[in-house]
Amino acid sequence: MGKLFTFVGLGMVLVLALVLAVVAGDYGPWYFAWMVGTVMIVLIAGCGAVLFDSQHEKGKGEI
Amino acid sequence: MPLIDPSVVDLSRLQFALTALYHFLFVPLTLGMTFLLAAMETVYVITGKQIYKDMTQFWGKLFAINFAIGVATGLTMEFEFGTNWSMYSHFVGDVFGTPLAIEGLMAFFMESTFIGLMFFGWDRLSKPGHLAVTYLTALGSNLSALWILIANGFMQNPQGASFNPDTMRMEFNSFLKLVFSQDAQAKFVHTSIAGFVTGALFVMGISAFYILRKQHREFAARSFRMAALFGVISSLAVVTLGDALGRLDYLVQPTKIAAIEGLWQDSAAGGSAASAPWLLFALPDQATQSNRAEIGIPYVLGPLVAHSFNTNIPGLITLEKEAGPRIEKGITALTALKAYGQDHDASALSTFKANEKDMGYGFLAQRYAPDQDLNLITPANQSEVIAKAEKDTIPNVFVTFWSFRIMMFLGFYFVALFAFAAYFSLKNQLERNRWLLKLSMWSIPLPILACEFGWITAEAGRQPWSVFGYLPTFQAASSHGLGYMVFSLIGFALLYSAFIAAELYLMFKFARLGPQPHHKEAPEAAATAPMFAAPAE
Amino acid sequence: MELYVVLKVVWALLLGVLLSGLAVMVGMDMGVGTLLRFVGKTDLERRTALNIIGPHWDGNQVWFILGGGAIFAAFPTLYATSFSVFYVVMILLLFSMIMRPVAFEYRSKVNAGKWRGVWDWAFLISGAVPMIVYGAAFGNVMQGVGFHYGWDGQYYQDESFIWYLLNPFALMCGVMSLALSVQQGGTMLMLRGEEPIFSRARKAAIGGGLVGGLLFIAGGFWIAHLNGYAFTTPVTPGAPATPLEGPAVVQMTGAWLHNYAAYPILWVLPLLGLVGMFGAALLNLARKPVIAWWLGAIGWIGAIFTTGASMFPFLMPSTTNPSQSLTVWNASGSEYNLGWMLFFALVFTPIIICYTSWCFYVMRGKVKAEHVAHDEHSY
Repeated sequence: MGKLFTFVGLGMVLVLALVLAVVAGDYGPWYFAWMVGTVMIVLIAGCGAVLFDSQHEKGKGEI
Repeated sequence: MPLIDPSVVDLSRLQFALTALYHFLFVPLTLGMTFLLAAMETVYVITGKQIYKDMTQFWGKLFAINFAIGVATGLTMEFEFGTNWSMYSHFVGDVFGTPLAIEGLMAFFMESTFIGLMFFGWDRLSKPGHLAVTYLTALGSNLSALWILIANGFMQNPQGASFNPDTMRMEFNSFLKLVFSQDAQAKFVHTSIAGFVTGALFVMGISAFYILRKQHREFAARSFRMAALFGVISSLAVVTLGDALGRLDYLVQPTKIAAIEGLWQDSAAGGSAASAPWLLFALPDQATQSNRAEIGIPYVLGPLVAHSFNTNIPGLITLEKEAGPRIEKGITALTALKAYGQDHDASALSTFKANEKDMGYGFLAQRYAPDQDLNLITPANQSEVIAKAEKDTIPNVFVTFWSFRIMMFLGFYFVALFAFAAYFSLKNQLERNRWLLKLSMWSIPLPILACEFGWITAEAGRQPWSVFGYLPTFQAASSHGLGYMVFSLIGFALLYSAFIAAELYLMFKFARLGPQPHHKEAPEAAATAPMFAAPAE
Repeated sequence: MELYVVLKVVWALLLGVLLSGLAVMVGMDMGVGTLLRFVGKTDLERRTALNIIGPHWDGNQVWFILGGGAIFAAFPTLYATSFSVFYVVMILLLFSMIMRPVAFEYRSKVNAGKWRGVWDWAFLISGAVPMIVYGAAFGNVMQGVGFHYGWDGQYYQDESFIWYLLNPFALMCGVMSLALSVQQGGTMLMLRGEEPIFSRARKAAIGGGLVGGLLFIAGGFWIAHLNGYAFTTPVTPGAPATPLEGPAVVQMTGAWLHNYAAYPILWVLPLLGLVGMFGAALLNLARKPVIAWWLGAIGWIGAIFTTGASMFPFLMPSTTNPSQSLTVWNASGSEYNLGWMLFFALVFTPIIICYTSWCFYVMRGKVKAEHVAHDEHSY
């Protein structure tokens, strides 16, 4: 039951995101670009940190 | 009715510019730091490594020092339209006030409520719960910028409202046009991402300082890496959006783009529009309407501004001449409007309607009319009035030209700096490239400088208008006495100087102090060191 | 009734709601600021008092900003005129208001007596001055303000600011507003504070409630002898909103009680105010700060709606050109604008109430001095 709610909740978030994306994409291409771009910037910065951790797993090494 | 004392208008402008520029010292860092903090905390929640929590908290503390003044000086902005720009507020409040009110409802409440939880809720919220709060704070601060820039977009390119002669003001008629105006869109993204660059360089520069001094090595290297990657994409995006904004100015604010490029003569004046040079350096002179000491790169101006080789870009001298007939129609429009206001005469209304789109130019002429009354303009003195008013239709070229150039050169510098930083950070060769670390450290204030000059470009380039084409700035001010203005200016100067001194003192103190080590033995809430356990130096 | 008239009335009511929200929430924080030096004798006590509203002051302050924004959008001419006419007072208000966020964030960041002492004074100023100005603004607006408009809508000021600062009725309203904020702030300190803050705050809160209530009664009698304003020609509420033309208005002693004579049901409002103020004082006496807080809020709402009901539809009358007085009918935004604003208010107000309550829920409970001393994030 709990799983079902999770799926329904996630589904709703997904639908909302799609509606928002479609509206922004139609009327405000730059707004759409900002949404996608910001998510991308945050994710890439995060990936950089994770990569750092894996680069430095063995010993300290140079930074 | 006499116009407002020009020195009161100038002081009002000075006060607004100073308070806005001061406010804008702190805003970009807020816009960018919140998302950078969110990125750090995301890594913490996913990997569970304590160091990312320390990063979020330490950078969060520096962020808070900055945020407080941002909030405080934002209050001034919200009230200054009413206190100093009464005619403006009356004239466009119906459409301009709305985004400000929505900003409060939608964004500022969100940002301010959640920022309290962000700082105080670490022990009271689950990990994902706190992460959600951080994201909501970031979203709130950027949504705040969105609505402010929608309002500013309206000043640059009034969309979604029309003038109502029955109420003597612009009235709101299209929500979609206001919100999705091209200017508002490009301005928001440009400003928000410029904030990202500011935040990224702030974190990167202070991290570089630690790496140089071999302090907090693990902490600083990770912060540097994240900030460098955050910055490299952001700085590229800022340049892209800057280009989009320039093209918009070319389409809807020809006087601004001509002033930005120092273009007195048409771009085709030298024979062909294609070979027109883009000026790297020049000393524009408003009095002689020409540039001294020009250094230009041929074949760049057309593609840069108009995205085309053979389109003529009108120069300032042409634009001034083109304003002449509009001023004449504007005078007709305003005298008809005044007559309509007195007796609701239908023929006066139709005369006004026929000339409505030039009414703003009529306001410009008011300054030079005998007794500043448009009704006293006769065929005999009309051409003299128009000739004087024409000169007022273009902005200050030197200021616009140079503030744009400083902003743009800095923008390209950031792209290069972040590219090197990201490259050497990914290769783990930061410690070998001390020049880069030093450069990053000394570059911390530069994005803020670029943001300030960006604001100057946009707003000085908009002159003489406060609402482009509708309401001149000198007409928009409140009719205060000089004494009022002196009082408020001195007060702002004293208060704001004290604030910046306190903020810089605290910022340096805590940045030098760096992240504090944890007492491993103490449990949860008290697990962090007391704030003043370690001496500042 | 036409839609435009309905929208104007709704926004007049919402203006009252906003001014009440501002008074209750911001007033509470201002009260804490005013009381800081009295409820806290030691540095740690003062820090504890600050941390009681620490997580919330920023969110609460948005009521103030929203108030400004909403008046700008819903009553543009009122915003344009009132803020300019009261220039010196508004600037003083701004100066004191902008000290506060900085004081919160900076006070406890340096451990030096002098530094903290300066910020403690900043809290006192930035707590007391805005509340006095807030109340005095109501007092002045009720008496009318000297301004008129040119043909293009530019306002012209006809009286100097000294008059607005120094007149007995406005000062009395200012003191009443300060007293109510002290009551609300004191109650909050009781709610989340422990001894010795609790007892000191209790004394202040009881005093604030009593003074506020007594001045409210005094104001009621005073207003009967002051000049009010009334229309002498028919009014068309649905007309395009402009103060440049409209019905004739006269000044008349006691006119502010006409609405109460016409609709006796309105007497509920001042009654509500009195029950709120004195009730809160009683319950604070009985050490029941939770109910007292809500009663204090009702006291504010009663006081503000009492003022609104007596002036309606006037918002800011003009002493020098009464026919250009600003009213709900002639100072509002356009129909389209008011409609959109209402839509946004209806969508976002419930959301705001939800997350604000959640935030108070998460941060519930007493603020302990030991915790404040050891938590790195506390003020």
